[in-house]
Amino acid sequence: MGKGQPSYTDEEFVAAIRRGDDRALAQLYRLHQPMISHFVLQNSGTEDEAKDVYQEGVMVFYEKIREGSLELSCQIKTYLYAVCRRLWLKRLAEKTRFGGRIDDHEPFLETGAEEDLMVAEERDRRFATMAEALNRLGEPCRSLIEGFYLLDKSMQQLTTDFGYTNADNAKNQKYKCLVRLKKLFFTSYKEEESY
Amino acid sequence: MMTEADYYALFEAYRVGQLPAPARADLERRLAADPDFALRFAEFEELTGTLNAYGHRMATRRKLRAIQAEMDQEQTDIAPAAPFETQAPQPMLRISRTERRLREFWSAHRATVAVAASVAFLAVMATLFGVELWRASVKQPSLYGYTVLRREVERIKRNQRAMNRAINQIDGTKPAEEVNQGKFSGTGFALTADGYLVTSYHVIQGADSLLIEDKNHQGYHAEPVFTDVAHDLAILRIRDRKFTGFGRLPYAFKRGQSDLGEKVYTLGYPREDLVYNDGSLSARSGFEGDTAFYQISIPVNPGNSGGPLLDDRGNLIGVVSGRQADAQSAAFATKSSYLMKLVDSLSAANAGGAYRLPRTNVLAGASRPQQLRRLQDFVFVVKVYE
Repeated sequence: MGKGQPSYTDEEFVAAIRRGDDRALAQLYRLHQPMISHFVLQNSGTEDEAKDVYQEGVMVFYEKIREGSLELSCQIKTYLYAVCRRLWLKRLAEKTRFGGRIDDHEPFLETGAEEDLMVAEERDRRFATMAEALNRLGEPCRSLIEGFYLLDKSMQQLTTDFGYTNADNAKNQKYKCLVRLKKLFFTSYKEEESY
Repeated sequence: MMTEADYYALFEAYRVGQLPAPARADLERRLAADPDFALRFAEFEELTGTLNAYGHRMATRRKLRAIQAEMDQEQTDIAPAAPFETQAPQPMLRISRTERRLREFWSAHRATVAVAASVAFLAVMATLFGVELWRASVKQPSLYGYTVLRREVERIKRNQRAMNRAINQIDGTKPAEEVNQGKFSGTGFALTADGYLVTSYHVIQGADSLLIEDKNHQGYHAEPVFTDVAHDLAILRIRDRKFTGFGRLPYAFKRGQSDLGEKVYTLGYPREDLVYNDGSLSARSGFEGDTAFYQISIPVNPGNSGGPLLDDRGNLIGVVSGRQADAQSAAFATKSSYLMKLVDSLSAANAGGAYRLPRTNVLAGASRPQQLRRLQDFVFVVKVYE
């Protein structure tokens, strides 16, 4: 693995990932993982923290590509480094004591990664609220919604899974659940916004 | 009346595109006309959009985790592969939990540790260096800036030996047994006719034995009788069977103080030969205002210490002691009045017998060379063996 595979240029990576090519994503992940791992380890992090930060960084990059809103003004490597650097700084600040000082070993440029991270943070917050709302939704609504929206199961399969007599029943149940979820989600989301 | 759930069914059908054309047109018209309805639709859109995005996020996270897990798997696959090649278990590859934690700590903090170590190292070195400097400065008995004038013979010894060799070669005789030249030397002069001498305390400081040598290199053993560290004075007595007495001393000791501008001179042994120097009495206090000393403008050198300081009329007015390192020809000499006080108190205590000091000065009125000719028999080299 890793060797003998087609190697992509940055543009090809972006195009392939936009198409949903998981092999390209895997290869990109492997390509830059050592760099971030090294960076985090050099800056008082552990191996596990390095993995976490890198996965978050790749996630930001990946979601930008899937949205089609990525404007890459530099190499992917530089972009990832900037994002992960920022993320790690935040973690360090949370851990305190070491906040601020960081050893750079890659050229660190302003890559627009900062704004992307702001957007990503907002999205994280929304997802966290959604997870919270789903938790408070209760069964069987939660499994039904998760099955349909998160796990991409068909209505047919859900009908049999949950033992409804027909698909229409399941659908009606799903809509009712959706209305309850909506109330939970928007109340807590708005509440958070008013902070 | 439609419930909210019914609306959601409608919206979803519209989103997926399952709604028949007339119903779709009806819905779009209503969206444009009814703001409440439009808001409800927007909320539905946001909710399902977020749900879908959340689903994607979870899927991507799973993918990334899988990739990472695969990489970790490869790593652990490679690691245990090694023992099979070497046929022997490699203990280095199996790292205990504590060791791994230690390694993580090391890799994370090694820069800090390095800085701390070098700071500690520098601090230790600086302290050692500082202490060494301090000790070197303390070794001199006098204050900073004050240089005592006893001479280190070690340096001259080498030349002496070379000269001896040369002379011996000319003579053609065997080299004489090497004499211990002594480590330091200074000057001393006669105090009484029966074998008491005066020199500076710092000349004989730390001495094991003392040797007095006159200008003809006739040596006598001597021992210190009394020392006065504060005024840098030492009184010696010759203990030698060869010694028969100095003869009558030509100078007298002045009990009072001398005046500024008095012409003064000294005789001493800064080298192997007797050296004369003169100048004036330039102040009635010594280094840092010490009133036990005169300041004199005589160029003195190491070896001059303990030499007699005489005025124009041949009165002994002081004992040469040292000079100031950072000033031009500022030398210092202990006042003879302090020497007299010391001798008087010793006489009173009767320590080491009575002191019969010379009463008359036979040098007065004589020319300088005549004075010196008579003086030179009473000035000696004091050699110190440690």
